[in-house]
Amino acid sequence: MDKVLNKEIKQIIDTYPEVGRILDEYGIGCVPCSVGSCLLKDVVGIHNLDPQQEATLMYRIEKAIYPERNVSEPKVDLTKKSAPKKISYSPPVKKLVDEHVLIKRLLALIPSIVEYVETSIKVDKDLVLKCVDFIRTYADKYHHMKEEDILFKYVDDKAEIIQVMFKDHDIGRGHIRQVVEGAEKGNKAQIKEHILAYRDLLTQHIKKEDEILYPWIDRQLSVTQVGEMFRKCNEADASVGDELPRKYERFIVELEEKFLQEVTK
Amino acid sequence: MSGCPGSRTMDFSEKTNQEGNDSGKRPSQLRQWPIQMHLVSPQAPYFQGKDVLLAADCAAFALGDFHKDYLKGKSIGIACPKLDSDQEVYVEKIKSLIDDAKINTLTVIIMQVPCCFGLAQIAKEGAEKASRKIPVKQVVVGLEGNILSEEWI
Repeated sequence: MDKVLNKEIKQIIDTYPEVGRILDEYGIGCVPCSVGSCLLKDVVGIHNLDPQQEATLMYRIEKAIYPERNVSEPKVDLTKKSAPKKISYSPPVKKLVDEHVLIKRLLALIPSIVEYVETSIKVDKDLVLKCVDFIRTYADKYHHMKEEDILFKYVDDKAEIIQVMFKDHDIGRGHIRQVVEGAEKGNKAQIKEHILAYRDLLTQHIKKEDEILYPWIDRQLSVTQVGEMFRKCNEADASVGDELPRKYERFIVELEEKFLQEVTK
Repeated sequence: MSGCPGSRTMDFSEKTNQEGNDSGKRPSQLRQWPIQMHLVSPQAPYFQGKDVLLAADCAAFALGDFHKDYLKGKSIGIACPKLDSDQEVYVEKIKSLIDDAKINTLTVIIMQVPCCFGLAQIAKEGAEKASRKIPVKQVVVGLEGNILSEEWI
C-alpha cells in the first residue's frame, strides 16, 4: 500500500476508476483535476478528515486496488459522529479569502459579458480590456502575487499541490492573453472560448484554495508565522496603495449595475 | 446552582481520567520579569517585536501544559479582569505594545467564566485604538484545563 500512497493520483484513478468515485464521496474532487500529479498520501492528508473517516477511506481504496487482499475493515463507531468542521482562517489568509470574493463577482458576470459581446454588432473592445485589466492587475498582480511571493513560501512550494496552483495561474494568464488577442482582432469566438475557460478554471481554483489549500496551510503556520505573514501582506498592499483595491471594487460595482440593467431591460 | 460562575465552588479532586505522565522535568518557559500588567512596561526589551501572551491569572493554573503549549517563545502580561483596578491602563499598554513595541501577535488566553471575557474585550479595545494592525488570537480554557476554543478574532 505504501507504493500506492506515493503514486500520482491521476495515474491511480486512470488505472482504478473506482478510487476516483470513492474520493468523490469524501468530497475529494481529484477526478476533474487537469494536472493530477499530487501523491495519494498528500491528497488524503491535505483534506484533514477525522481519523475514523480517513481510516475508512484508506480501507476502501486498498480494497478497490487489491480486492483479493484480506484487509480488516476499521471499526467505525457511529455514535461518535464528528461535528462538521468550521473553517477558521488566520487574519492574513482571511484577507486573501476576502479578495476572492471580488474576483468571484467578476466571474459571475462573465456569462452576461459573453452574451453582450456575442450580440453586439462590434466587439466592445474597451469593456473587454477593462475586464482584462481587472484580472491582470487585481486578480493576478495584487492577489496572486501575494500567494506566490508570500503565502506559498510558508510551505514547500515545490510540493505538487502548490505546483498545481502555480500551473492554474499560468493557464489563466494564457487564457487572458487569448482574450486580449481576440479583442484586438474583434474575434468574438476567441474571446468567448477563453474567457469562459478562464471562468471555469478560476472558479475551481478559488474553491480549492478556500476549502482545501488555505486551511491546510493555516494548520501548519505557527503564531509567529501568522504575525510575520500578516505584516508582509500589509507591506505588499501598502506598496500598491489603498486606491488600487478601491478602484477595482468600483469597477465591479459599475459592471454589476450595467449588466443588471441589461438583464432588466 | 446559582451565583457568579467565576466564584462558584467546584471540586474536581475526584477526576479520574488523567492523561499524560509525570516523568521528566518541565523547564519554565518564562523569559522575563515582571509579568503583571500593571508592572510591565511596553518599552521593556523583552516585548520588542515579539509574540505576546495576555493571560488571565487563573489560566496558567488551569492549563497543565501552559508553559509548553502557550508560553514558549512568547512574552507575557497577566491580569484579572474581575479583580484588578484601573483596567483602562491595560488598554493603553496594549495599544503601546502594538504601536511602540511593534509586537508581532497578541494571544489572549482566558477562562471560560463570563467575567474573564472582559480581558478579551480589553485586548480588542487596545488593538482597535492602535494605529498598527496585528493578528489577535483568543484561547478559552475550561475550568478543568481543557481548551474550549482557539480562534483568531
